[in-house]
Amino acid sequence: MHAQRTDLPQGTLDLLILQVAALGPLHGYAIAQRIQQVSRAALQVQQGSLYPALHRLENKGFLAAEWKDTETGREAKFYRLTAKGRRKLKDETEDWRRLVEAVGLILALAAGEAL
Amino acid sequence: MNWWQRLWKKKLLEDRLDRELRFHFDSQVADYMRGGMKETEARRRASLEFGALESVKDDCREARGTLWVDTTWQDLRFSFRTLRKTPAFTLAAIITLALGIGANTAIFNVTNAVLLRSLPVHDPQQLVSLKVEPGQPDGAGNTGDSETSFSDLVFECLRTRHDAFSAVIAHVPLGFSKISVRHGQMPEEALGEMTSGDLFSGLGVRMACGRPFTLDDEYNHTAVTVVSYTFFERSFGENCQNTVGHTLYIKGFPFTIVGVAARGFFGLLNGSTDIWIPLQHRPEFNAWGSSNEGYYADAKWWCLPLMARLAPGISPERAVTMVAPAFQRAAYEPLGGKPHPGEKPRTLALVPLRGVPGAEGQAKSLTVLMGMVGLILVIACGNIAMLLVARNTSRQREFSIRLAIGGSRFRLFRQLLTDSLLITGAGAVLGWILSLAATRALIAWAEIDFDVTPDATVFLFTLGIAIFAGILFGVAPLLPAVRVPIGLALKSSAANLSQSRAKLRTGRIIVAFQVSMCLMLVAASGLLVGTLRNLEHINLGFRASGLLVFGINEQLLAHSDAEAVRFYQALLEKLRALPGVESVTLMGNRIGTGWSNNTTAKVDGKDAVASGPNASIMMRWNDVGPDFFTTLRVPILRGRDLNDRDSDIAPKVAIVNQTFAQRFLAGRDPLGHSVSFNEAKPYTIVGVVANNKYTGLRENDVPMAYFPYTQTNADGVKHIEIRTVDDPVRILPIVRKAVTGFSPDLALLQPMTQQAQFDETISGERLVARLSVCFGALAVLLVATGLYGTLAYSVSRRTSEIGVRIALGARRLDVLWMILREGLVICLIGIAVGLPLTLLSAGLLESLLFGLAPRDPLTTAIAVVGVLLVSAAAGLVPANRAACVQPTIALREE
Repeated sequence: MHAQRTDLPQGTLDLLILQVAALGPLHGYAIAQRIQQVSRAALQVQQGSLYPALHRLENKGFLAAEWKDTETGREAKFYRLTAKGRRKLKDETEDWRRLVEAVGLILALAAGEAL
Repeated sequence: MNWWQRLWKKKLLEDRLDRELRFHFDSQVADYMRGGMKETEARRRASLEFGALESVKDDCREARGTLWVDTTWQDLRFSFRTLRKTPAFTLAAIITLALGIGANTAIFNVTNAVLLRSLPVHDPQQLVSLKVEPGQPDGAGNTGDSETSFSDLVFECLRTRHDAFSAVIAHVPLGFSKISVRHGQMPEEALGEMTSGDLFSGLGVRMACGRPFTLDDEYNHTAVTVVSYTFFERSFGENCQNTVGHTLYIKGFPFTIVGVAARGFFGLLNGSTDIWIPLQHRPEFNAWGSSNEGYYADAKWWCLPLMARLAPGISPERAVTMVAPAFQRAAYEPLGGKPHPGEKPRTLALVPLRGVPGAEGQAKSLTVLMGMVGLILVIACGNIAMLLVARNTSRQREFSIRLAIGGSRFRLFRQLLTDSLLITGAGAVLGWILSLAATRALIAWAEIDFDVTPDATVFLFTLGIAIFAGILFGVAPLLPAVRVPIGLALKSSAANLSQSRAKLRTGRIIVAFQVSMCLMLVAASGLLVGTLRNLEHINLGFRASGLLVFGINEQLLAHSDAEAVRFYQALLEKLRALPGVESVTLMGNRIGTGWSNNTTAKVDGKDAVASGPNASIMMRWNDVGPDFFTTLRVPILRGRDLNDRDSDIAPKVAIVNQTFAQRFLAGRDPLGHSVSFNEAKPYTIVGVVANNKYTGLRENDVPMAYFPYTQTNADGVKHIEIRTVDDPVRILPIVRKAVTGFSPDLALLQPMTQQAQFDETISGERLVARLSVCFGALAVLLVATGLYGTLAYSVSRRTSEIGVRIALGARRLDVLWMILREGLVICLIGIAVGLPLTLLSAGLLESLLFGLAPRDPLTTAIAVVGVLLVSAAAGLVPANRAACVQPTIALREE
C-alpha cells in the first residue's frame, strides 16, 4: 500500500530530524527510515536533502556525531541530540504548533463561511 | 569539530562523507534484498533513489561553511595564473597603483607625524598646551612667542590648581638656538630645555635607564640632567646604564646625567630635544638664554611656555572656567591689578597637544601636497581602470565560453573581482614598501628632525586608500564584462564593434578627466616652482657666498658687558689673523634666522614721523661689530662703516638703511641726526647703507638701524661672520681650533655658510616645489600612458577601416593627423574642463606663493601648452602606427 506522499514545507526537515534524533543515537539511514515509518510513508526524505541537513545541524552544534559499529558490525556515523539541540527542538516545536493552530483557525473560518 | 578544523582536515572529512553515504546506500540495498529483490535490481533501485551522488556531496560540503574559502583560494590561484600570463599588463597596473599609494602614504605619514600624532606618552589625550588670548597683557614683556608664553607667577598659580590639572609643566628653551655642551675634549651643540620637575612624571615619559629629575630637583635647582635617547646614542653610544653618572658640561657648568629618556621621546620643541634640566636660578641659565634679569626676578616677563595634563574627567573648557579668576589675578597682579583702560582682558585657552609642536605653519603646504598626491591616485586609478577594461574586453570570448558551459555570472564576477583585489593587494604592499623609502628620502631632503615611523593611523590610511582604489577601478570595469552575451563565443569579432565603441567612449572620458586633473597639478607645480625661483633670485643686498657664520656664547668666560667686549675684541683679533680670512665681524641676531629686534623708532629724541604711504614707525635693529657692511659687501651710500674705534667708551653712533632715511628723514641729510629706541640715549647716525635682508628672504624693506655691539649689550650669544678668500667651510677646522683656544667649552654654534643660512629659510618652499615637480611629472607620465593606451586601442580596433581608407587613396599624413587629432580633441576637452578647475583651486595656494599671483597667466599658459605637447607626443606613436598600416594586410585580417 502506498500512502500519498507529501512534500515537506521549507524548514520542517530540521525539526523532524531533531525530533527523531531525540529518541537516541541513530545513523542517517535509520533517521530516514524512522521518519518514513512514523509518518506512515507520507513523508519521504530525499538523501539529497537529508545529509546536507544533518551536516548543517552538526556544524551548528545541534547534533553531535560519533562513529560506532552497527548491529551488523559495520561502522556508521551516529547522530545524537545535544543540549543545544534539545532547546532548539523545543523552540521549533512550539513554533510549529502555533503555526498549525493559526493555520487551522483560518481554515476553520473559511470552512464555516463556505457552509 | 570547529570551523578551523573543518577547513584544515578536508581529506578526513571527504573520507568520512564518502563512508557515510556508502553506508546509507549499502543499507538501502540490503533492505531491498531482504524484501526479495535481486542484488542488481536492488542496486539499480537504490542508485535511482539516491540521485546524483556528487551533487549530494557538494551540498554536504556547502554545509561545512568553509566552501567559500576553497572557492576564493581557487579564484586566487586562477587569477594569479592569468595575471602571470600577461606580465606587462600586471606589472603596469601594480606599479601604477604602487606609485599612487606610495606617494599618498609617504605624504600622509609626514602629515600625521607633523600635525596629527599624539606624543608618545601615557594617555596623551589629556595633554593640552596653554595659550593666552589674544597675546600677553599690555605692559608685560614677551619673547616674541606672545600667545604661548606665561609669567612665572601665572605658572606658580596654575600648578597649584589640582582640581583642574594633574600637572602644569613649564618648559623653556635654554637659548634661541642650540647651546654648547661637552663631556669629553670637544664641545658639541645640543638643543636643551629647562623644565619644571614634573616634566617626565607629568607627561608619563619612561626612562630607558636611570631616573627622571623630580620636583625636589626643581625646588633645589639641582645640577642634574636627563638626556634624550638620540643624544645618548650620538654622544655616548654604548651602554645606557654607564652613561648615567657622567658629568655633562652645559654652557660650561657641570651637570650630572641621572637618566636617559625612553627612545622615541623627542621633547616639546619643533626639533628633537637633546637635554633637559630642572629650572635653574642663575643668570647663565635664564629662559631663552636671555641676558635680562631672569624669569624669577622679573614678574612682568612672560617667557615660560606651559603645558598641562588635565585632571581626570575634566574637559579643557571646564578647566578654563575653573581657573579663570585665579588666572586673571596672577596675570594682572604685577601690572597694577587690572587690565589697562581699553585693554581686552586676557583669557586662558587650552589646545590639545598633537603633532610636532610649533609646526602648525606646515599645515598649509602639507594640505596642498596631500591634495596633489590624492589627484595622482585618482589619475592612476583611471589608468588601471582603462587597462582592466581593455583586458576584460579581450577576454570576452573566454567569458562567454565559461557562461555557455554553465558557469554562473556571479562566479565570473567574483573571479574578476579577485583579479582586481590581487592587483590592489600587490599594489598596496609595494606602495607601502615604496612609501617607507620615500619617507626616508623625504626626511633627508627636508632635514626633518623628528620620528616618522609609520603608526597604526598611517597603516589604516593606506588600507583605506587601497580599498578606495580597489573599488574605484576594480568594480566599474566588471559590469560590461559580466554583461557579455553567451552567444558571443560563436560570433566573429566584428560583431562586437558597436560594443567596443561604447567602451572606447568611456576610455576617452576617463582620459579627458585625467587631463583636467593633470593640468591642475602641473599648473600648481608651476606656481610653486616659480615661487622658489623668485625666492632664490631675491637680491639679498649683500654677498652671501664666501661668508662663514657661527655663534659664540661668551657667558662662560665673561661676567659683565666690559669683559664681554674685551673677549669679543680679542676673538675678532685672533680670527682676523688666520690664513684665508679676509675680514671678520659679528652680530647679535644672526641674519637669515628670522630673529630680529623690533621697536618704535625715535629720531632726534622724539617718536619718528613717517612720511610716504607706510605710516608705521616701527624699526628693526641689530647690534653688529666693526666692518660689518664691508664684510657683508653691503653698499655704503653715505658716511662710513663701523670700526674698532666705536668702542664702549666712544661716542654712540648708528648706521641706518635707505628705507629708514626715506621714511623718517625724508629730504634731509641723515648724517648727524640721531636715532634711539626705548629709554636708550641717542645714537648719532654716521652712515646710510643700502637695504639688505635681515630676517629672511620674504622680508619686505623695513627701516633698520645698526648699533655697535659695544654700545648696546655685549653680553650674550654673538654670531661671528667671516669673509673668506675661498670656500668658507675649508677654514672651519682652524677657526674651531682658534676658538677652543679661549676655553674648551666654547663650541661653534651652528657653523654654516651664510648662504646656507638663507637657503634654510626656504627649505620648506624648496621641498614643496621639488615634490610638486615630482608629482606633476608623475601625473604627466600617467596621463601620457593613458592617452597612448586609448589611442593605441582605437588604432587596433580601426585597423581595417584605416586599411580601407589608405586603399582608397588617403594619404599617410591624413591618417597620422586623424589619430593625432583624436588625441588632441580628448586633451582639449580635458583642458576645457580643467582650466576653470585650475583657476578655481589656485586660490588655495595663495599663501604659499611669492612674487606671483595664484592665477599667473604665464604659468597657466605654460601648463596648458605643456599638457598639449605631452598629449601630442603620446599620440604620435599610435598615429604613426596607423599611418604605416598596410592595406593588404589589414584587409586580409578581417
